[in-house]
Amino acid sequence: MLSPKAENLIEQYLNLPFDDVTKVRCPYYINSRAKQRAQLRVLIGKGLPQEIVEEAKIISIQYHHGLFDTEGKCLISGLPTDEIVNPPAECIKKFLVDNGLGVDCSGFVSHILREHYRETRKMDITSKFYFVPLTNYFRYVISWLRPLENMSVKRYASDQNTKKINSISEIIPGDVLILLETGPQKNRNHIILITENDGKIIKYAHARAWSMEGKYDHGVARGEIRIIKPNESLLNQEWVEFGTINENNETYLEAKNAKIFEIRRIKF
Amino acid sequence: MMSCLPFSPDLLQQALLYVILAAIGAFILAPILIRLLLKMQVTRRGEFDFTLRGDRLFKVGTPIMGGLLVIIVVTIITLLFNWERSYTYVPIGVMGISALLGAADDLLNIFGKKRRSRTLPMTLTLIRVHKKWYIRLWYVLTLPWTIFQRSTAVLGSHPGKGILVHEKLLLQFLAGAITAWWIYFKLGAQWHTLWIPFDGVISLGWWIIPLVILLVMFTANAVNIADGLDGLAGGSLLITFAGLTIISWIEGRAAFTLLNATVLGALISYTYFNIKPARFQMGDVGTLGLGALLAINVIAINKTVLLPVLGFIFYIEAFSVMFQVFFRRLLGRRLFTMAPLHHHFEFKGWSEEKIVMRFWLIHLFFVIVAIWLSMN
Repeated sequence: MLSPKAENLIEQYLNLPFDDVTKVRCPYYINSRAKQRAQLRVLIGKGLPQEIVEEAKIISIQYHHGLFDTEGKCLISGLPTDEIVNPPAECIKKFLVDNGLGVDCSGFVSHILREHYRETRKMDITSKFYFVPLTNYFRYVISWLRPLENMSVKRYASDQNTKKINSISEIIPGDVLILLETGPQKNRNHIILITENDGKIIKYAHARAWSMEGKYDHGVARGEIRIIKPNESLLNQEWVEFGTINENNETYLEAKNAKIFEIRRIKF
Repeated sequence: MMSCLPFSPDLLQQALLYVILAAIGAFILAPILIRLLLKMQVTRRGEFDFTLRGDRLFKVGTPIMGGLLVIIVVTIITLLFNWERSYTYVPIGVMGISALLGAADDLLNIFGKKRRSRTLPMTLTLIRVHKKWYIRLWYVLTLPWTIFQRSTAVLGSHPGKGILVHEKLLLQFLAGAITAWWIYFKLGAQWHTLWIPFDGVISLGWWIIPLVILLVMFTANAVNIADGLDGLAGGSLLITFAGLTIISWIEGRAAFTLLNATVLGALISYTYFNIKPARFQMGDVGTLGLGALLAINVIAINKTVLLPVLGFIFYIEAFSVMFQVFFRRLLGRRLFTMAPLHHHFEFKGWSEEKIVMRFWLIHLFFVIVAIWLSMN
C-alpha cells in the first residue's frame, strides 16, 4: 500500500473536495495542445485536488458561470441525485473539462509520489529529481522554480531518476509503469502508478482519457492487473479497469502498443 | 520656492478656505456631471468585469469618469487663485496629461473596438514570408517596437478595448519625465538630495530623475489599481491629501498647502457621491490624474521617502498585483485568491463596506505615521 496520505490524495482526485458536491472525478487535462507557458500549474494539468477546486470556484465567480457563490458553496447542489445520476457532479465535471481544469498522468503521479515519499522517507523527491544539466541554465532555473511541472514521463524514464525492475514479483507500491511512444500516432507517453501488490493482484492508479469515454467522462482512475501467469511479463496478465478486460481495456492496449514499456522505481 | 513660516495660522486659515471652496464647488458640480455622464452613456458595462455579479449587478449602468469632478475643480481653482508659475503649473500640467490618458482609456473601453497587437511569432513569420520586400523591411525595422509591445502586454490583465499597455507606459513615462525635468532643473539643488526622517540626507544627483519618473508612473498605476470598490480610492485619496496638506502646512510650503487643500476639498464631495451605492465611479481619468498629482506633490515638498507611507493602501494594492504575477508566472501558484488585494478579501466573503472601511482605517493610521515622520 502507498502511505495513508498518498492514498488519501488519490481519493481526493477521484472525489474532488468540493464543499457540498461529491463524486466529481478529476478530469484528464494535458497542456500539449494548448501549450500554455508560465501559467498557473493548475491550468496546465499539474494541480492538486484542492487547487483544482479553488480554481473552479474562482473561474465560476470571475466569469459569472453561476456554479459557486463567494463562500464556495455550489449553487446547484440542491438538485436531486441518486446512485446513477448525479446532475451537480456531472455539471461540475463538464465545467472543469470546458475550462481546462484537470490533471495529466505525470502531474498526478508526481503529486502522489511526493506525498508518499514525504511520509515514508521524509524526503521531497522534487528536490532530488534530475531535470537537465546546469549548462542548460534557463531550463535548469525553470525546473528549480517549478519542479512538479517539469517531472515529465520522459524524465521518469531516465536512468538518473529511476531504475528498471525486471520481475513482476519485485513490484512494490510507488513503482511506476512507463509507456513511451504509444497511441495510434506513436507520439504519446504515459505513466501509471502502482498502488498495491499482494502477489496476486497489482493495483494501479493513473490519469488518462480513453477514446470510448468521449469528451467529459475521462479522468483519474484505478485499475488492476491480475497475475495469471506469474513467470511472464505484465502484458501477459489480465488487465482490468472500469469493467473492461485486456483488448477492451484501453490502458492495456496503450501498454501493448508502446514502443518502450517498463516497470521503474524511483532511485533515491 | 514660495514658502512661509512653519505652522503658520494664516496659511492654515487660507488652506481651510480652499477646502471649503473646493468642496462646495465640487458638490454643486457633481449632480451636473452625473447627469451628463448618464446622458452620454459613459457608464459601467458588465463585460470583462467579474465584480459585476449577483448582488452587485446593480453597478451596471453607474457612470464612470467621476474623477473628472476633482480634476476640473482642482484645475479651475488653482488656475484662478493659486497659479504660481514656478510651483503649481507643472503639477497641474502633469495631472492633466495623466488625466487625459485616463480619459482616453475610459472612453475607448466604452465606445472603442477591441484592439489587438500583432504577436511576435506572427511578425517573425511575416518577415520571412510576406510577398512585398518593403513590407518585410518595415517589419524588420519595427521589430524592436513589436518586442516592446508584446513584452509589456503581459502586464495587462486582459485584451481590452482601451489604450494598450505599451501606449499607457509611454505616456506615463512622458508625465514622469516632465516632473523629473521640473524637479531637477527648476526647483533647485535642494531637490537633488533625498530627505530622510531623523535628520538624514542622501545626495542623489541626477539619479533623482529616474527615481521621480518611476515614482510618478508607479503611484499613478497604484491608485488606478486601488479603484475597485465604491469609495476605496476616493476615501483613501482623501485621507492621503489631508495628510499631505498638513505636512505642507507644517513645512510652510504655501503653494502646495493650498493645492493639496483644494484636492482635499474636491475629494470630500467626490467621496460623498462615491460611497456605496456609488452615484459615479472615479475611472482612469481620476485615478491616473490624482495618482500622478499625489506623487509630484510629495516629491515637490521633498518628502519623497514618505510616498509609500502616505500612499500605503495604493502601494499595498499595487504590490499585491506584482507579487501575484510573480507567483503565477514563476512559481505557478496563486499568492492571493485574486489580486488586487481587495478582490482577495471579496473572495473570502468580506462585504464591500467592510473591506473599504478597514482599508480606510489602515490607511489613516499610516498617514498619521507619515505626518509624525515628517516632523522628525
